[in-house]
Amino acid sequence: MTLGKKLSSVVRGFGIAVLVAVAGFPVYWLFTTATHTTAELFGGQVQWLPDLGQFFTSFTSAASGVPMLRWLSNSAVVAFGTTFLSLTIAILAAYALSRYRFRGKGVFGFALFATQMLPEALLVVPLYSIFLTFGLLDNLTGLVLSDTAFAMPVAVWILKSAMDGVSLEIEESARVDGCPRYAMLTQIMLPLIAPSIAAAAVITFFEGWNEYLFANTFITDEQKWPASKGLASFIGEFVTPLNHVMAAALMFTLPAIIFFLFVQRRIVSGLTAGSVKG
Amino acid sequence: MPRIRFNGITKSFGDHQVIKAFSADVPDNEFLVLLGPSGCGKSTMLRMIAGLTDITTGQLEFDGTVVNGTEPKERDIAFVFQSYALYPHLTVRANIAFPLLMSRFKPYHHLPVVNTLMRRRVLRDPEVDAQVRRVAEMMELTDYLDRRPRTLSGGQRQRVAVGRALIREPSVYLLDEPLSNLDAMLRSQMRAEITALHQRVGKSFVYVTHDQVEAMTMGTRIIVLNEGVIQQYGTPKEIYDRPANAFVARFIGSPPMNLIRCRLEGRSLRFPDGGTLQLPEGCPSPDSLERDVVLGVRAERISVAPSDAVASETLPAHIVLSEYLGAETVVAFKSGRRADQAEQGTVAEHDVLQARIPGELHLTPGADCTVRLDLTNASFFDIDSGERLPVAVPEATT
Repeated sequence: MTLGKKLSSVVRGFGIAVLVAVAGFPVYWLFTTATHTTAELFGGQVQWLPDLGQFFTSFTSAASGVPMLRWLSNSAVVAFGTTFLSLTIAILAAYALSRYRFRGKGVFGFALFATQMLPEALLVVPLYSIFLTFGLLDNLTGLVLSDTAFAMPVAVWILKSAMDGVSLEIEESARVDGCPRYAMLTQIMLPLIAPSIAAAAVITFFEGWNEYLFANTFITDEQKWPASKGLASFIGEFVTPLNHVMAAALMFTLPAIIFFLFVQRRIVSGLTAGSVKG
Repeated sequence: MPRIRFNGITKSFGDHQVIKAFSADVPDNEFLVLLGPSGCGKSTMLRMIAGLTDITTGQLEFDGTVVNGTEPKERDIAFVFQSYALYPHLTVRANIAFPLLMSRFKPYHHLPVVNTLMRRRVLRDPEVDAQVRRVAEMMELTDYLDRRPRTLSGGQRQRVAVGRALIREPSVYLLDEPLSNLDAMLRSQMRAEITALHQRVGKSFVYVTHDQVEAMTMGTRIIVLNEGVIQQYGTPKEIYDRPANAFVARFIGSPPMNLIRCRLEGRSLRFPDGGTLQLPEGCPSPDSLERDVVLGVRAERISVAPSDAVASETLPAHIVLSEYLGAETVVAFKSGRRADQAEQGTVAEHDVLQARIPGELHLTPGADCTVRLDLTNASFFDIDSGERLPVAVPEATT
């Protein structure tokens, strides 16, 4: 290995280490804070290292007195519901945008983009009115619908781009081979764009999992709070048990990390290689 | 095994008409080649036969039944795409068996997850497995059945595409330039394989290519297309020996047919540089006594001699380029003695004629030579329209 290559390898390694430290430090700090008592945290000395002996005590005391599991399961319902609904609609919409010519196609595509230009806070009042009319207040279905409205357009554009990259001749070949038009999605398109579906699933899942604004406004029943709203409830007017907040935040983060690790294996490129010569 | 009939078929994209009144009748079991330069509409024509592109006007008939509105899968055809269009997420086995899978799937089998389970089940079926193995053996793919297309070479992928077409035993095989991306050796091998396949399966083939060598070697009938218009429809021999117009004459043959402007005066031909040649006894010629024509002579009908002395029935010329190809030498020359240094070594200009001489012939560019034209099977074209002029054998004089 030449000196230049060694130097470039060291610089690259250093760059990666910095990025990992920047991204990982908040999680580390979350963990460290969660394993110390409030007295230690506010004792005037910075606690750099986690106290592993306190680990379980801290977590059990954080979860006691609050329906933490219930909140987490509510969040899971909203996140998986948003992912499922968004992807179902987005796959169909993306296929239509990618493969069919129809009147208003351009306007429809722009309208999808336009939804991303509106801040969520602007829609809280009109949505409240709509949800009141349809009985969706204090209802997780309402949260799934509102989050889908924001997550789905992004998914449509991700999936449309992926579908545009699939050669039309593969579908034509399938048509000649006897594949019905309605089965083109499941037989040909979906397996080929699986990496993009996984990417869209991650985005839509986190839209639902991180839901707070609508939950804060539309859900008043404590049993129906998602975990994000539950977490915020730890912050009291006079006292905020910071170690409990951080322990609960870790519990909130864990399922999302597991979901991401599970899905990210599908986000690989080169799946369509070998299909058409080039 | 249908008889394919094209009845005044046209195709337009907006205001642009790409196929103009295409009519032809193709009998059963023919190897029909649609031949033409890029953009002439031959692939569009093939897609219309397959039902992948709508026909604007006219009728396409399979055995007398109009199939204009019929879905591709109902036409009993197989299509080999130029790009192969394999299914990259499936193994070679599943790719080849795909038409069989589709014929056995019920509507609910197409649901996600269910389709994967059903695919595995059908592929394990002994009958399907036997059919896949039969095709794989024919295409020499047995060792690759469990691999994915991305791990195969271009030639292997091409064979998978043909294998997928074979398994269903359709009535018509449609092939869209399937050899265009293969190297010369593999192309030659696949050409022989596809020809053998046609003879073995005894079905109709429609093959699109811009390569006249493929057309001549594989086709039993050829349709030459240019700018969406049929230039000629016939057997390879008819097209080679009696091209319908100057375009076909230049498009078919390598080197292409030599086209020389001259004046026909009875039985003699007068060339612009003053040379004259007599048509041999019994040689057919246009019936008009005196007119300007374009004379067409194949390269192998011309002989070149390195001489500066003009003998009778020869024309003076000078060498532009000489290419030794092993079994033959292709000589490019210009008529007359006006050797110019600038023109030597190039054939990319007008008035350069080519001769194909068997064996090796040493000729120096710029050197004077004499050429002898064998006019026995010469073609004559109208100087304005480029259409072939009808010829007649003159009555023997007593």
